[in-house]
Amino acid sequence: MKSALLVLGILAIIAFVVLAGGCSSYNHLNSLKQQTDKSWADVQNVYQRRADLIPNLVKTVEGAANFEKSTLTEVIQARQQVTKIQVDPGAAPNDPEVLKRFQQTQDGLSSALSRLLVVSEKYPDLKATAAFRDLQVQLEGTENRITVERGNFNNAVVGYNTAVNSMPARLYAGAFGFQPKPYFAAREGSDVPPTVNFNFGSATPAPAK
Amino acid sequence: MRQALFISWLWLVLLLVGRAETLPPKPADYFNDYAGVVSPGTTQQLNDQLRQFERDSSNQIVVAIYRKMDTSSSIEDYTVRIANAWKVGQADRRNGAVLFVFSDAHKMFIQVGYGLEGALPDILCKQIIENEITPRFKTGDYDGGLAAGVDAMIKATKGEYHGTGKTRSDQEGKTVDTIFLSIIVLLFLVSLVRGWGRGTVYSGGGRGYSSGGFWSGGGGSSSSGRGGGGFSSGGGSFGGGGAGGSW
Repeated sequence: MKSALLVLGILAIIAFVVLAGGCSSYNHLNSLKQQTDKSWADVQNVYQRRADLIPNLVKTVEGAANFEKSTLTEVIQARQQVTKIQVDPGAAPNDPEVLKRFQQTQDGLSSALSRLLVVSEKYPDLKATAAFRDLQVQLEGTENRITVERGNFNNAVVGYNTAVNSMPARLYAGAFGFQPKPYFAAREGSDVPPTVNFNFGSATPAPAK
Repeated sequence: MRQALFISWLWLVLLLVGRAETLPPKPADYFNDYAGVVSPGTTQQLNDQLRQFERDSSNQIVVAIYRKMDTSSSIEDYTVRIANAWKVGQADRRNGAVLFVFSDAHKMFIQVGYGLEGALPDILCKQIIENEITPRFKTGDYDGGLAAGVDAMIKATKGEYHGTGKTRSDQEGKTVDTIFLSIIVLLFLVSLVRGWGRGTVYSGGGRGYSSGGFWSGGGGSSSSGRGGGGFSSGGGSFGGGGAGGSW
């Protein structure tokens, strides 16, 4: 009788320790997860800022005399792709495929935009307008912000994934529904300047990457 | 498996990047000319101006002039990481801005903290660089260009926040002083109580004022607080706002 009580007491202590450990690691994981969600929202925010700039850019560029159309339509189409893609802005994605698709469409817009800016070098009249120069500065600033926020997001995910995969938390993480999250990959071909075809007149678009 | 591979690859890249460059250490002043292109008078004057500006507005504006960039990365990427490492600006307002100049490369960049992006949008930074700084730099007038640039940045961010009348380093000096003073007071009280105790138990002598030696050490530290005081960062952060240029 006495020994049964003792065993029960020990079991209760063990249960308490496990529960306390579970709670503290749950709280730790949860705060790290919140951090990834916040960084994800920041990433969405800067991408949205870029998407918002494009209608103005299109309007300004269209005003320039016989501007090469194919690069412009490319930008418009890439922006449509970007606005079409459905991601939850409030939570960092768990599915690597979702992040990959998101990144591909956004990078598509990046390369279309940089092609447009390269082409615009050929139009001194356009480059001389204040509206275009302002837009160019804003786009550059937005690209910088995108790079920074993507880096911040990756850092947050590194911290979260490390915690999820570390030993004590690893035992609880699955049960609490904490899965490792995917990272942004380095931009494909980001070390290569964009290729441009100056095909005035003909409507064939520049080769897509 | 693929993810494990990717993570190890990421670390490799980070390692390589880390090796290819060094971030300069946090500066001691608001205006820092490591390239030796600005006259001491202008340095002094801009330092005072920027220190006073932090007292008035709590905004921290730092200028750093180097000869070259110690990196293989781009100027905007390199400088945003430096600005974040220095943590210019107050932590809660994130109201810092740093003007980086690389004199050998003839390049500059204004990095704007999150909290000042409204007052110093990219376009305005570009205009400050193109209209105020670049024309003077082109004629070799570093003093004039930097004075005009700092002036324009101060004007743009004036009124964004209100200051406490103190810089970060003023406050830090102050807290050290306060701690020091309270320790002295505490020691004094302790000695007083002990003296009292002695006085009543042994019924000899007066009250233990003899241990007033604690006072003598007090004078030294209070002089460090006001007047000068270098730059001391408040924990601000940067998100890539701002603009760059070359001359």
